Amino acid sequence: MIRNLNIFLIFTSVLMLSGVYAIKFSIENTASQRTELIAQIDSQEGELSILKADEAVLSQPGHIGPIVARHELALAIAPVKQEQFGAFEALPMRPVRQQPNTSAMNSLFESLAAGVDPIDAILELEGIE
Amino acid sequence: MAVADDFAPTISIEGARKARGNLTQARIRWMVLAMVLGFGLVGGRLVQLGMVETDSTIEGQARDVITATRPPILDRNGLEMAVDIRVPSLFAEPRRIIDVEEAVQKLRTVLPDLSEDFLRNRLTGDKGFVWVQRELSPAIQDKVMRLGIPGIDFITESKRFYPGMSEASHILGSTNIDNQGIAGIEKHMDSDSIALLQDLGLARGNALAPVELSVDMRVQHIMHEQLADAMTRYKAIAAAGVMMDIHTGEIIALASLPDFDPNDPKTALVKDSFNRITAGIFEPGSIFKTVTLAGALDSGSVRVTDQFDARFGVRFGRFTIDDFHGKHRILSLPEVYKYSSNIGTIRVMQAMGKDNYRAFLSTMGFDERVQFELPEMRLPTVPKSFSEVGAATASFGHGLSVSPLHMVAAYSAFVNGGNYISPTLYKRSMADAEPLYRRVVQPSTSEAIRYLMRLNAIGSGGSGGQMNKLALGFRVGGKTGTAEKVVDGRYSSSKVTNFFGSAFPLDNPRYAMVIMVDEPKAESAQTGTTAGWNAGTVTGRIVQRVAPMLGIAPDFSPLIDDSLVPAALRNGPPGSQFN
Repeated sequence: MIRNLNIFLIFTSVLMLSGVYAIKFSIENTASQRTELIAQIDSQEGELSILKADEAVLSQPGHIGPIVARHELALAIAPVKQEQFGAFEALPMRPVRQQPNTSAMNSLFESLAAGVDPIDAILELEGIE
Repeated sequence: MAVADDFAPTISIEGARKARGNLTQARIRWMVLAMVLGFGLVGGRLVQLGMVETDSTIEGQARDVITATRPPILDRNGLEMAVDIRVPSLFAEPRRIIDVEEAVQKLRTVLPDLSEDFLRNRLTGDKGFVWVQRELSPAIQDKVMRLGIPGIDFITESKRFYPGMSEASHILGSTNIDNQGIAGIEKHMDSDSIALLQDLGLARGNALAPVELSVDMRVQHIMHEQLADAMTRYKAIAAAGVMMDIHTGEIIALASLPDFDPNDPKTALVKDSFNRITAGIFEPGSIFKTVTLAGALDSGSVRVTDQFDARFGVRFGRFTIDDFHGKHRILSLPEVYKYSSNIGTIRVMQAMGKDNYRAFLSTMGFDERVQFELPEMRLPTVPKSFSEVGAATASFGHGLSVSPLHMVAAYSAFVNGGNYISPTLYKRSMADAEPLYRRVVQPSTSEAIRYLMRLNAIGSGGSGGQMNKLALGFRVGGKTGTAEKVVDGRYSSSKVTNFFGSAFPLDNPRYAMVIMVDEPKAESAQTGTTAGWNAGTVTGRIVQRVAPMLGIAPDFSPLIDDSLVPAALRNGPPGSQFN
């Protein structure tokens, strides 16, 4: 009886031992993966910080200014002058003579609503469709 | 033989004790075997552990300390003014270096700047960690790694980088190699809270919320560019400028040339590169007349319609104070301002009384440092009490020294309706600013000052005409100040410090600006060295560029200017009218 019990105990302890070691090694494995990932994130954050700094340099007015000055002649650009500013109130109203042709517009909308698109006839004539 | 056959087979009787003895022996043998195996395992593991090389690179605790970060600094539109970058730093573990001479020679092929003796000293010994060179570029890191020297390795560190280069140098200041602020707003931030965070080990990664400044980098760029242009155009020894939001006290731009590159902090040690706006105090010259007139008008002792006798110089004992390009006639108060009459200003001050005048200067904060974030500040020097002649010279800005920041804060209060607001470099909303207001002059005085400033820009003979020609339509007004420098104990007329204090757009003022040009020369034979020709034109050029950026549209309607004239002066004497 005791012998059987001992054998059973020995087997269970061996099993548990191997189980514990298996867990230990798997944890170590996970930990090393984690360290690897942390290192990777760290280096990528480093690269990101450089890229961000690059972007900040490129978007500085002090960086763009000289580029604009260099291409002033080629692109025919210059700082805006006071006379170039306008206001909506300063815009003239639409001249009365150039009223839109409302009857033509109405007939177009009506034919569109009826399912006839006048452009189809032109396309057919041209042989596009 | 038969006998032998007779023997009965030997009977061996094993007793219970013997049987147990045998069993025990067998058990002992098994046990010994198990023990040997067990200890063998332990011993084998020990040997295995002994073979493993432990990794003793600088990891864990120390790592967090050296990658301590600072929050990014943004301008008011969210553009980065200072960011942290990760850069490789070269370190060595001298106890693991096998051949020091070889390591020294190899390292010097990549880093020729390092001296041989320095390297040899660094790499010899039994230390576990020494810096060799901090904050290198990734390209150099590659080259050093390719050398394959044992005991030499890299670690990434945080380094401060200023993408705007020198443009906002005096605002930002700089940091030392350990990423601690040593000047400017960086130093102010450290005294605040970041130092504590870093001590606690919390300031790591990108967790820190960015710091938003009140500065607009576009305006800052234009101001820096125009000041640099003024330095060459007028062959000046220095130029500086500051622009402030008059309602919130936010500093929109602040530049002082010569300046330095905060990415290379040792350039800050160059002589004369100090911040002239906050740490420089100067005799303000005639821009101080605005203060005198505001004080006198506010006290009620003079009115905007009053006349002052400027026919003869004012005598104090054997001194006579006279006007520069004087009119030598009776002047109305607007004319006193427009023609920048010293005599007239003294009369205005005398009407107010010198003690009242001195008290008004205290009200305006000319006795103490301006409350401001930058650590580079100087106390103004204003006499505790004025003698008759001292008050007279002070009324036109001589015999006392204040910083340009004092002047821009005073001008802001004069045009914003009469509320003094201390300037700030951090974002501040109107709601936050209003509780900080301190009333210094009445709204009616503020109205009169706005009219006087605009009159000086567009009235005939006003010293701001050059400025206004460049900034037409933006309703700028201001006052020139040409302060003669003291050379060998005497005021020199050839060496001057020029100022232009201005505000715009005066129909609904939003910004005040002070521009300073130190020791300018005439640009051409047709121009002069007085402030209207240099500080004034710089102001005009800056406003012309930045006003559209700040959402101010030009308006040429004369009605706007006419509405600035105080009711008492409508249809008044000709000198007080625009045009």
